[in-house]
Amino acid sequence: MEIIGDDKKLRALFNEAQRADQAASPGFTSMWHRAQARSTKPRRAFRLSFAVVTALLLLTLGSLAAWSMYSLRRNQQHEAVKNAPAPKSAIPVNTPNEPKTNDGVNIAQQAPPAPMETPVRRRSPKPRALRPAAPGDGQLLAKNETAKETTIDTWQSPTAGLLSSPMDGLLKSVPQLNENTNEMKSVLPGRSNDKEK
Amino acid sequence: MKSDPMEIADLKAELERLHSASFGWALSCCRRDATEAEEVLQTVYLKILEGKARFRGESSLKTWLFAVIRKTAATEYRRRLLRSFRLTADTDEVDDRVSPFESQSQTFERTEAQTHFQGALKELPRRQREALHLVFYEDLSLREAADVMGVSIGSARQHYERGKKKLRESLTRLEMGYGNNWRRQETSRAV
Repeated sequence: MEIIGDDKKLRALFNEAQRADQAASPGFTSMWHRAQARSTKPRRAFRLSFAVVTALLLLTLGSLAAWSMYSLRRNQQHEAVKNAPAPKSAIPVNTPNEPKTNDGVNIAQQAPPAPMETPVRRRSPKPRALRPAAPGDGQLLAKNETAKETTIDTWQSPTAGLLSSPMDGLLKSVPQLNENTNEMKSVLPGRSNDKEK
Repeated sequence: MKSDPMEIADLKAELERLHSASFGWALSCCRRDATEAEEVLQTVYLKILEGKARFRGESSLKTWLFAVIRKTAATEYRRRLLRSFRLTADTDEVDDRVSPFESQSQTFERTEAQTHFQGALKELPRRQREALHLVFYEDLSLREAADVMGVSIGSARQHYERGKKKLRESLTRLEMGYGNNWRRQETSRAV
């Protein structure tokens, strides 16, 4: 590269700096040996940052798994409580001595039913290993199914008494084809009157 | 993976020959910090020994070595920055280290012109400073300087020209400010 004018002066300044640096430059041999010593040193296999990150990751995954298991169990418990049979006191029983309203319905029946208490599951003081094995989920579900069937058969609505009337026989029967007109008159009293007139 | 021992022996001789130039370049890359420059150069030698930096003959050895030094200095600088964000105790520990060359550089009697020159050089942007150093100090061509800096030759030329202009301006400013005529000093030295 051609150096002219001021460039020469710049080069002179750089050369001066170079001379100073050369005087202060460390020996090559010592530096090379130090580098060699560093290269022969065993590398630290355990990196702290890597270990911390791994531990955090494992902790997060573990807590996530534990939480999901806990929530699953809780949902199952809720389902079991919902499917449990209703207490027998909820079924209305007509007794002649109980006070009645004008409609003939028992006052006891009108009162709102007491809130159903859900059984609270208490933790056993025994460790889990010593506790007797709990029934499996399948068994619990089967039990709930049979209880449901029996209660549905015998269950009556609290207002079932209001729906019964003395004309139930006529209302619930259907007129048949080729039936005698006289018999139909009993079903349709208005029309028979018109014809009689 | 380690390099071939024969290769290393050959390389060692070449590295020894280029050692002082390499140290000068490392100094320039480390903003004239002798301790940091020494550490960088040692890391470079370590990289070569461990085979992390391999010379494949794609360019001259000097250009390749200077490129490795430049990259290592940048990495070390980033590491130092990260370290400075850590605990104060650690920072103090780093700051307390005294380089054996620091005292030498302090005791070295620099001319006033040289002090001003170094000050002006520090004011330049990194690329411009690098281009000037590689051309004037290391006596490389612009193409070689571009290879070391990892830029195109056109870009290297621009950095070189702008750097030269800025350096002249700051030297003139300093000359006027301190009443020191570096030109005259140079002339008298030449005589």
